[in-house]
Amino acid sequence: MKRSDSKRRAILDAAYRLFRTRGFEKTSITEITAAVGGSKATIYSHFPSKEELFVECMMAAAENYIAGMVRHLKPWAADPAVALAEFGSSFLAFICSPEQLEVRRLMIAEAAHSGTGKFFFEKITELRAHVSAFLSSCMARGTLCRADPDLAADQLAALLEAEILQPLLLQAREESPRAEETRLAAKRAVAVFLRAYAPLRERIEPPLRARTAHRRPLPTPPPSTKLYRPV
Amino acid sequence: MRRKTEAKREAILEAAAEVFREVGFERASMSEIRSRIGGSKATLYNYFPSKEKLFFEVMYRATQPELGAIASALDPDADLEQQLLQFGQKFLPALYSPQAIAVRRLAIAESGSGIGKVVFEGTTLPMERQVAEFLRKAMKRGTLRTADPKIAAMHLLSLLESELLQRLLLGVMGTVKPEAMRGAVRRAVEVFLCGYEP
Repeated sequence: MKRSDSKRRAILDAAYRLFRTRGFEKTSITEITAAVGGSKATIYSHFPSKEELFVECMMAAAENYIAGMVRHLKPWAADPAVALAEFGSSFLAFICSPEQLEVRRLMIAEAAHSGTGKFFFEKITELRAHVSAFLSSCMARGTLCRADPDLAADQLAALLEAEILQPLLLQAREESPRAEETRLAAKRAVAVFLRAYAPLRERIEPPLRARTAHRRPLPTPPPSTKLYRPV
Repeated sequence: MRRKTEAKREAILEAAAEVFREVGFERASMSEIRSRIGGSKATLYNYFPSKEKLFFEVMYRATQPELGAIASALDPDADLEQQLLQFGQKFLPALYSPQAIAVRRLAIAESGSGIGKVVFEGTTLPMERQVAEFLRKAMKRGTLRTADPKIAAMHLLSLLESELLQRLLLGVMGTVKPEAMRGAVRRAVEVFLCGYEP
């Protein structure tokens, strides 16, 4: 590890402890400086603002978690359903955690005043790239129909977040979702996603669609069933 | 108690909208709002018992009448795909107006004060309910597969927001062109219908 890397690490560790115990507002760069030693200038040479330091801290603290989450997305998985359900529920648990909600609120609050919103958006985009790559490999293998993988990844995230994120972000609901709740929400989201992105063959031949056990029994299609094709 | 007038109420709401935009919810004060319209603090409180209520009214005016009308225009007897496309094409511009984005950002940023809850219960929930009711009818007619209509409504709304809302809230994008919204609506509705086709 280079010296500047270890300094960076030390700043992140100290800042994380302070942010966790005192919150974003009450923690100052001065205090962080006091905790790691050195000068404010050193901190600013690593992180342009307190907001960016905060995002980096929270993301760095979640690094192992994110790595574990992404590991569910094995491109060689025979059936994307299992990989996506596992990824989906850990993704949902992650973005609904109090720390991540706080990060997101702060980034949205600061968005109007500085470039921090963009910085956070880049972090989200990095995570999305893993999902896109996985979806893209499924599309190439024919386990999902061909489409724009970035768009598909955005839509997957939207379906995953649909039931839970907004009330938490707005604090219309206080208690964090239990594991069972996020698991079920993810399962429903992934089921809809897979129906939408099933390879075309499966959509034309209904019997083949009853591939996954979690699916509801399919009703007899009405005579004028229209074939919808995603992009 | 003096009779309340619509004109006075309007004037208060306009002044309040200005103050909220300028300094944000937390730093806005009832005194500042009062000073812009004249009259006593008691008069102001007579119209709006708290800053939260006032904020909610401002927000409601900015987004709600439009959003309410958009959801109630959903006609269960007309072609499903067309109805969803039309709904989305009215919903996104209302949701993404600079004022609506400012309000939503404020509601999230200051959610600790309780205004996020007011916004969620006053706008998100009624919208979800109306859309769910529409989808329930479509499921009953067999144009959509049977599922929980409330969850289907949340899936639809979230898909509609998926491409642009986060970018706007985070300031990655300033405004959205109408063509971009049309494309986003078409893609969201396609995926929704594929996911919920019978």
